[in-house]
Amino acid sequence: MGVAKRVLASLFLIGAITSTPQMSVQAASQTIVEDGIDGMTNAVNRMLGGIITYARWPGAADSNRTLCLVGTPRLTDRIAPTLPGNGPRIILRRTTAAAVTGGGDCDILFFGRMPDADRQRLIGWVRGRPVLTISDDDPGCLYGAMFCLAQKPAGVSFSVNLDAIARGPIRVDPRVLKIGQGGGGTP
Amino acid sequence: MTRHASTASSARTTLQKLLSRFHFGVTLFAVALSGLTILLSGITAMRGYADRNIELAAQLGAYGVEPALVFNDAAAAREGLAPLMKLPGIAKLRVLDDRGRPLTEWASPTEDPAPLLTRAFFPRPFAVTIHRNGSAIGTIEVWGDSTTLIDYVRIGLLAGLACLIITALGTIVMARRFEYELVKPLGEIATVAHDVRLHRRFDKRVQPLRIAELDRLGGDINALLDELQGWQGSMESERAMLAHRASHDGLTELPNRAAFDEQLALRIAAAAQHGTRLALLFIDADNFKAANDRFGHAAGDAVLVALSDRIRDTLHNRDFAARIGGDEFVVLVDPLDPAVEPKVLADRIRAGISQPLTLPGGEPYRPTASVGVALYPDEATDAAALLTAADAAMYADKLSNRTRS
Repeated sequence: MGVAKRVLASLFLIGAITSTPQMSVQAASQTIVEDGIDGMTNAVNRMLGGIITYARWPGAADSNRTLCLVGTPRLTDRIAPTLPGNGPRIILRRTTAAAVTGGGDCDILFFGRMPDADRQRLIGWVRGRPVLTISDDDPGCLYGAMFCLAQKPAGVSFSVNLDAIARGPIRVDPRVLKIGQGGGGTP
Repeated sequence: MTRHASTASSARTTLQKLLSRFHFGVTLFAVALSGLTILLSGITAMRGYADRNIELAAQLGAYGVEPALVFNDAAAAREGLAPLMKLPGIAKLRVLDDRGRPLTEWASPTEDPAPLLTRAFFPRPFAVTIHRNGSAIGTIEVWGDSTTLIDYVRIGLLAGLACLIITALGTIVMARRFEYELVKPLGEIATVAHDVRLHRRFDKRVQPLRIAELDRLGGDINALLDELQGWQGSMESERAMLAHRASHDGLTELPNRAAFDEQLALRIAAAAQHGTRLALLFIDADNFKAANDRFGHAAGDAVLVALSDRIRDTLHNRDFAARIGGDEFVVLVDPLDPAVEPKVLADRIRAGISQPLTLPGGEPYRPTASVGVALYPDEATDAAALLTAADAAMYADKLSNRTRS
């Protein structure tokens, strides 16, 4: 079964590579449609959980992952990723750019709204480190975060910055990359 | 007899027909049985492959739509299913989320070529539960259809039919050969038996045959024919002996009275038909009784044998001599040469008889005979009258002899 999965994964990867032009920044096209008052919060947390569950950190699997929240989230102020099944437990920590670079022990960096300088410093610091970066303040995904969440008329979507992922040691499931590159053309 | 045989053969069946029917039945049974076995095993194997195919497709789909379920993304789910949509043999796809609500659905635009086949092979959709980190996050359902099976079934049926035809033809040829091998030697035996019965050809024999049982039968028939031939030969010789004994005199080996009567009637009939003449000579030994009394019966017999030999010596081609009584002989001269006088005939006989001879006791003896001649049709036109006339002429001759001597 493991071999079959690997084969299937390779097929998907080949499909992902051949069917899309190599763009560093992928256009987001994913939507999660939710209703209700907490719809946006749930959608964002579900999407965060999805991204985290398909990311692989180097080294042994850890049951805890620390999410460092820097700046002010734009889509929801109640960031709490929901992971399917027995995923790693997410420890949320609100912190500052200086604290992160000063040895904040972060596995995941969530960029809210923040000064450009801080963001650039953090992006520079992340390079080569096993840290997953997600932003909700960069709809075009141009400023160096690996994943960018954005609000679309139909719901919430994410896009992928393949260059940023390629620079770091974190591996992301190619199926997610494929979704992030937005081949779907959803309305 | 032949009529009986022909009606019997029309009512009965031939061995060849019987064998042919039997072979056909056995062949049909064997072919049907093997065909059914192949069909059943083929269907089982096909069903297994179809199930595996659908299962594999479902696993592929499950892998493809897993992130889409995590992100609850209908478009991504549809994309994840895209590889499956290109596969033949998939009629419908559906992805359900963890609460059983459909995330995306897809139905093949191509029509099912054989809905019956689909119903038989894929009565239910194949469902795979999709897990992420150990918990179910959704289900993928795959409905198969018959597009991949129909070709297989079609080719399988055609190949099966071809195999059936080839097998049937092959077995028919083999059955024919077997029938030939069996019926031909039986026919040979029947031909010999028929020949023997119809034409009395007891010299016919059955040739050695390749089939042991039939060869044994042929051997027994041959042995029977050997015995029959032996019986037939001995019977024929015995019959000839009996016939000779019935028509000939035992002592002189000349034909007897019965044979003479028959011969006379025949010759008169023939002469009447052809308008020819014939002469009947009646010969009676003179003083035979006296010689018999004087020299004994053995001497008498020797005289009679000598007389018969001498009479036989005077005969020409178709002439016929017989001993019709103790010392009475007759000669039929047939045909009678018109140039020859009847008297000459009688004189020739008389001269032949009167040669001297030595009796068994050593005594010399000179036999004499009286001869009477009667001509057909001059003196009589029927057998009895001719014989009477000859007898009378002989008697006259005897009287004249007595007076002479």
